[in-house]
Amino acid sequence: MNTKRAHEAAARSAEPTTALTLQQALWLELMQFYIREAWLLDERKFKEWLDLFTDDVLYFMPRRKNVPRREAQRELTPLGDLAILEEDKRYLEMRVARLDTGMAWAEDPPSRTRHLIGNLEAAPLENGEVEAKTAFLVCRSHLETDYQLLSGCREDVLRKVNGAWKVRRRTIVLDANVLLDKNLSVFL
Amino acid sequence: MGITPKYAVIEPATGKLDRRIFSEPAVYDDEMEKIFGRAWLMIGHESLVPAIDDFFHTYMGEDPVILTRDGHGRLHALLNMCRHRGNRVVRCDDGNAKRFMCTYHGWTYRNDGALDHVPGEAQAYYDALDRPSLGLIEARVETYAGIVFATWAKDAPSLEAYLGDARWYLDTVFNRRGGGMQALGPMKWLEPVNWKTLVDNCSDNYHVPTSHLSSARVQTRWLGRPPLSHEDQFASPNQHAFVNGHSITFRDADDNAPRYVHGVSKETFRLFQEYHDATMPEVERRLGTLRARRVQLGNHSIFPNGILGLRLALPRGPLKTEFWHFVLLDRDAPEEIKRAIRIGSQANNGAAGMFEQDDVDNWRQVTLASTSRFGRRHPQNLSMGLGHAGPHPDYPGLVSERYISENNQRLFYRRWEEFMNAESWAQIPLDPIKSTFEGTATMRG
Repeated sequence: MNTKRAHEAAARSAEPTTALTLQQALWLELMQFYIREAWLLDERKFKEWLDLFTDDVLYFMPRRKNVPRREAQRELTPLGDLAILEEDKRYLEMRVARLDTGMAWAEDPPSRTRHLIGNLEAAPLENGEVEAKTAFLVCRSHLETDYQLLSGCREDVLRKVNGAWKVRRRTIVLDANVLLDKNLSVFL
Repeated sequence: MGITPKYAVIEPATGKLDRRIFSEPAVYDDEMEKIFGRAWLMIGHESLVPAIDDFFHTYMGEDPVILTRDGHGRLHALLNMCRHRGNRVVRCDDGNAKRFMCTYHGWTYRNDGALDHVPGEAQAYYDALDRPSLGLIEARVETYAGIVFATWAKDAPSLEAYLGDARWYLDTVFNRRGGGMQALGPMKWLEPVNWKTLVDNCSDNYHVPTSHLSSARVQTRWLGRPPLSHEDQFASPNQHAFVNGHSITFRDADDNAPRYVHGVSKETFRLFQEYHDATMPEVERRLGTLRARRVQLGNHSIFPNGILGLRLALPRGPLKTEFWHFVLLDRDAPEEIKRAIRIGSQANNGAAGMFEQDDVDNWRQVTLASTSRFGRRHPQNLSMGLGHAGPHPDYPGLVSERYISENNQRLFYRRWEEFMNAESWAQIPLDPIKSTFEGTATMRG
């Protein structure tokens, strides 16, 4: 094959001649959702961020324990044990509303954050909802020299409401046992 | 005893506090010996090790300690340090095990601390190893209403004497029900703060309407919780008392109101009122009428580092503290009550808690001010309510005239001096128990 023909063949194969599979379309749709969410958080548009959650959302961050490998089922504390966060929509609304009082000292002056979301795996459920798992790195810079790096994963269940995906349940699994930082005042 | 006090950090007449105690490494080292090496330290709760062979990993100050329940059901607090080279013999947060094997050379200990097995003992040590003397180092353990305390000091008084009349108040939460309490947790995080500020803050009611106003406001609007202001606090029937090293705030009103905790909202209030009413005969039987009907423990600390119920301020160097947050629930309370308290507690306290997250930057600067070359020359001002506290006809300890006061802070740092200046426990003053403990509740629950 000469060089010219090789280029033509490569160009042809790059054309979108086949439709995306449903799985690929879902993946793209959700990835866009998570990128948009990250920008809303990093640009401090928290009221718009709240709209990404259903009214019956559970926003849950269990504790993560050191247990032997053979007892791995005990590593995450179950719902009903003391969690780091076990919030409904109302509590999330309060957290956002208090930022506007001018007296939410942990976030006034506000943190500078960067949410990096990746490693998306998504699977549709029979009831039309989807399960989506992502990994995150969140950098938080605060005041003069405070710097925090939070890593972990989100396990979400999303539901379509009026044509838009919304998170109905979010489980945030941090990779830390003892949190190394002064507080956890940014949304994950 | 003719010993010149080494530390004079708080001026009783003015409330001036020497800031250097928050950052000087030599002071911190001395604290680890003279306070954390001597005092009864809160380390956990019996409900964290409910079954035979359960263990829970905790700390006495900086030292890692395994709280175990041995094969006979007895509790032990064992230093997590292999007697051979010093490796930790437990790396998990909790679990169930009859033995702990050091992962370095395999020395294995029973959960009562005894050294059980040494690989190649006969050949390697020619049978000359004095195994019985090489058990894990064990601290003294005593419990109060299920809360486990431990001390390294052989000459420490009993836990009952150590708590003294503070227990008269503490009983109104921890010894309320015959079924006792259960602990959930802990949530753990590091704060760039000297440990004393966390403790001092538990009796600082003055900060609440400033530090926490944003959270209080939204919770008034969303949850129907009462508004918070300095005026509201001055008008409240709350009291501020200091007993034997322990800081207490309590509500003093015979109005049949349930204890106001995180989790009470306009929706759940009726539930809490019904629980309060339903359990009152039992509580009255256990604590007597005065305490059951009139006294409700509020914010408090147990010297040196137990704060707001079962929460621990674990020192990690002069400028750092690991904070442990548990929630304690009446074991026999209805599930709806437990759920409301659990969710209210984690929404407001802990690293992500709406109330608690606003504390740490304030506290951090209190610590850092003590490292300021020029700032540290100027003392903290703890003068609030000087001369407005004294004995009370009905209540033990030194009671402030007002709930908003720095009486407890002044006395906390004075208690700190008493520990730091003592050569031994014999020199640490302890108020005798003077209260009448009406009702059937005892130290053991």
